[in-house]
Amino acid sequence: MSRGAVIAALSLVLLAGFESAGSAADEARRIVDEVQRRGKSMSLRYNGLLQSFDSGGKTSEKRWTFERTGSHGQSKSVIRFTAPPEVRGVALLVVNHPDKASDQWMWTPALERDRRIALQDRSTRFFGTDFSFEDLEERDAEQYTYALKPDQVIDGVSCWTIESRPRESKSSQYTKSIVWVRKDNYGVARIDSYIKDEVVRRLNYQSFENIQGVWTARELRMTDLRRGGITRLVLENVQYNAPLQESDFTLQALRRQ
Amino acid sequence: VNLLRLISWPYARRHVLRTILTASGIVLGVSVFGGMHTANRTVLGAFAQTIDRIAGKTELQVTAGDTGFGEDVLDVVQSAKTVAVAVPVIEAVVASNIAGQGNLRVLAVDMTGDRRLREYDFDSADDLVLEDALIFLAQPDSVILTKEFAERNGLSIGSRLRLGTAVGQTAFTVRGLMKSSGLATAFGGNLAVMDVYAAQKMFGRGRMFDRVDLALKEGATITAGQQELRTLLGPAFEVQPPSMRGQQFEAMLAAYSIMLAASSAFALFIGVFIIYNSFTIAVAERRSEIGILRALGATRAQIGRIFLAEGAAIGIVGSATGLAIGVLLSRSVATSIATLFGDVYGVSQQAGELATDPVVLSLAFAAGIVTSVVAAAIPARAAARVDPVMALQKGRQQLLSAGESRVRVMLAAGLVIVAIASPVFGRTRPVFYAGYVSGIVAVLLLAPLLSLWVARAIRPVLAWMRPVEGALAADSLIQAPRRTSATVTALMLCLAVVVAFSGMARSTYDSIAQWVDTALNPDLFVTSSATPEVQAPRFPSTMASEIAAIPGVERVQMFRNGRIAYGDGQVMVVALEMESVANTSPQEPVAGNRDDMYREAAAGRGVIVSDSLAQLRGLSPGTPVEIPAPYGLIRLPVVGVVVDYSDGQGAILMDRSVFTRYWRDDTVSDFRVYAQTGTSVETLRQRIVERFANERQVFVLTNEELRSYILNVADQWFNLTWVQIAIAVVVAVLGIVNTLTVSITDRRRELGVLRAVGGLRRQILGTVWLEGVAIAGIGLVLGNIVGGINLYYLLDIVRQDVAGLRLAYTYPLVTAATLVPVMLGAAFSAAIWPAELAVRGSLVEALEYE
Repeated sequence: MSRGAVIAALSLVLLAGFESAGSAADEARRIVDEVQRRGKSMSLRYNGLLQSFDSGGKTSEKRWTFERTGSHGQSKSVIRFTAPPEVRGVALLVVNHPDKASDQWMWTPALERDRRIALQDRSTRFFGTDFSFEDLEERDAEQYTYALKPDQVIDGVSCWTIESRPRESKSSQYTKSIVWVRKDNYGVARIDSYIKDEVVRRLNYQSFENIQGVWTARELRMTDLRRGGITRLVLENVQYNAPLQESDFTLQALRRQ
Repeated sequence: VNLLRLISWPYARRHVLRTILTASGIVLGVSVFGGMHTANRTVLGAFAQTIDRIAGKTELQVTAGDTGFGEDVLDVVQSAKTVAVAVPVIEAVVASNIAGQGNLRVLAVDMTGDRRLREYDFDSADDLVLEDALIFLAQPDSVILTKEFAERNGLSIGSRLRLGTAVGQTAFTVRGLMKSSGLATAFGGNLAVMDVYAAQKMFGRGRMFDRVDLALKEGATITAGQQELRTLLGPAFEVQPPSMRGQQFEAMLAAYSIMLAASSAFALFIGVFIIYNSFTIAVAERRSEIGILRALGATRAQIGRIFLAEGAAIGIVGSATGLAIGVLLSRSVATSIATLFGDVYGVSQQAGELATDPVVLSLAFAAGIVTSVVAAAIPARAAARVDPVMALQKGRQQLLSAGESRVRVMLAAGLVIVAIASPVFGRTRPVFYAGYVSGIVAVLLLAPLLSLWVARAIRPVLAWMRPVEGALAADSLIQAPRRTSATVTALMLCLAVVVAFSGMARSTYDSIAQWVDTALNPDLFVTSSATPEVQAPRFPSTMASEIAAIPGVERVQMFRNGRIAYGDGQVMVVALEMESVANTSPQEPVAGNRDDMYREAAAGRGVIVSDSLAQLRGLSPGTPVEIPAPYGLIRLPVVGVVVDYSDGQGAILMDRSVFTRYWRDDTVSDFRVYAQTGTSVETLRQRIVERFANERQVFVLTNEELRSYILNVADQWFNLTWVQIAIAVVVAVLGIVNTLTVSITDRRRELGVLRAVGGLRRQILGTVWLEGVAIAGIGLVLGNIVGGINLYYLLDIVRQDVAGLRLAYTYPLVTAATLVPVMLGAAFSAAIWPAELAVRGSLVEALEYE
């Protein structure tokens, strides 16, 4: 597994800054830094299969291609939907910033126009999936505090347990998150996101594979515990450090496609 | 209570019909007052509720009138420190194309952020099924309907629905259903939600939004949010809580509300006269009874109290009945008001649940009782003063004493002088209104004398018509002026209001017709909606050249309009191609030089304002005006004042180039097309329809059709005139039946003697009929005179204080002529029953009277 794969998949970076307030905290920060270092890559490309299952048994499926350039905190990524036919050609450009929420634009070919997605309400679900827009963002690690909790076993693998809380200056729908990091490969195994004392979303990372030296989770499963919905993301044809053009990550490029 | 039980109750039982007629005065007033207010409140309440449901959790709304603004404004709003979420909104009205389902109100939003503001219940599969959020955004044909509307029309997820849009009849796919609560109940369920960017394309909005709805960050106050946004956006934008839209709507309806309030107050006022009349009659009729009571030791106060208590009792019964009838009637009145709003203001609104206001209903109830007691007070006083001896002498009480008459005349003369002097010597409004009120009071004071004079004047006419019956009828009126004065006064007031309102309707109609003839003279109008809805789809400006290329088209003009905030209200901005308009339909200005006016306006160096706006805002040629627009403050002088009825609150006419520059909007509301000489208008219309058949939704109206539509709307405004005529008829019937009944009771001996000396049945009947018709005749004469004067004052009030409209004084001859047979017919009908009473009574009893 790889932390990089996690970032690549949905830019879910919940790892970050640290206060030198004790050895447990220092250790948590060290683990976070190591996760980030091991997952680092200059670019990423993969094909994704997104399946959503609601509590009523209804299923929807979409496919996309994902491309990212740049490193954590300053990356740009483009998601292009390829199926079903109704959404083919719809594209999403995400420009991440280290110190603020990302900028996002969406291109809808049927209307032949782009629109800016204002992520003022980042708790909104991402296009009917169980991810929220906030879950898509790369976040400034310095805006969180961390604490190391007792180790736990997830899917049969021993994991460090790290509690992450947004600082007062940081606006988030979540009160805190618990991140489990595998001790065998520094891959994130699970993230539980809390609102007050209730776990509202659970993200599981599965099917780890070492791709070009990066441990990559090939399957992510997000559960919305309040709705009872599940979204499964499967990564195929994963390729790190592919030669991608910076000019392909602009609004103009989005419109050209 | 005992006196009521022993004296009043038996009297009421003996005169059931009379008692009912007396109470019906209050029933009429209270039912109109309660019913009209309930209906008005129901419609306004439904409008406010709709705004509330549509607004959801929106705390503030950013608008620029109804012209809309560019997408960049959204970025500015979203950048504000106090703003948590800001989402763009477009609202449009489209034809559902389903028989009996009318229009659909489209609420177009950006779903990616809108759920923070509005509850769509996406999470519950039972409540709402949104097929796929991404597909919804990706496909511009996506639409969410209310479950209620879908079920009504057999639609479900995946169904196709054809709606009229700017790009023609377009098939939409139902991709979601909302449960029938909250948002989904707005507009009676005739609501469709779609993507705002798709709506831009479908409704020809270019890259513009109608408004931005927003929620503030936690801790930010509404005031702080308003201040920040106003600073960021400038004066062209209104930043208001959603509830303020309801208040703006109410302000827009101010003129209508004034009319409504006047009508209901008028109905109650008329009730006073009916009660007064009935009690005066009762006092006259029961003189001997009162005399006996006094002789038996009853005090004056006790006698007075009996009549006041009767008044209160009738007031209670009449008010309760009136309220019940009013509430029952308010449903249909609310529906017609809602239709009027839709036609006149382009605001479609269905009347929802009846909004009865306990305070208003209590007020109406109390007003009914107070009115009844007040109306009974003077007759009660008269009853208390009855001299037992005089009570036995028939006729003495009815005569108007010379002393009393002199006081009335002197007082009235003073008031008439004030009324005449006020418009001559005082230009201020308080003086004007003092004159108006003085005139009304003077007329009321003089009414008995005037009716006496008119009765004397028409005596020869009646005598000429029927020498015996006519003379007897006229003498009856002349000998007992008090008996008829209340009925005549009530009739006179009714007819005065009918004549004045009808005159206003006539004046307005004529003025609008004249304006339509000069300003709206194109052969064809190409619009996107069958009715001129402000929120109708708009056309791109490129369509002008496409129309111009159609064979037979001489000239095409682009027209764009929209209401904007101006000062403390709103005005209509009208963007025209001034140079072209100067050639085709130049208007003679009320102020300014015509050639200069069009030249300067066409060059973008000035604006033309409507006469009404000039009047209300004190504008004249040369006055600089500041018009706040989304992309700058327009500072231009007024270069001319013209008569224009584009909007009740006034209009600013500017060259199209100025509008497109300051609004960055080149869309077109409608095109005005002139046909080439020799080209049939009907043929050209067909060509235009065919040219855009599969491309756009176009409605092509001929000049005559548009003219009819506008004048029909003008007509609807004055439908209240018919209500007032109906009230006048009711008043006439009630008053005349009462008056004649007592007249016959009073004259039983006289009528008995007539019959004893050989008077024929038909002669007696004829006398009573003629008396009834004569009362109506007197009312008609006085009503027309007072109505004519009233019309003068009302036109001045409309001009100076309400709408600024310059309406020419036009006496409503048709209405006046119509009233003659209507009122005389009503009077004759009212006289039939009393006349029968007169001939059916026992001759022996009649001769034994007194």
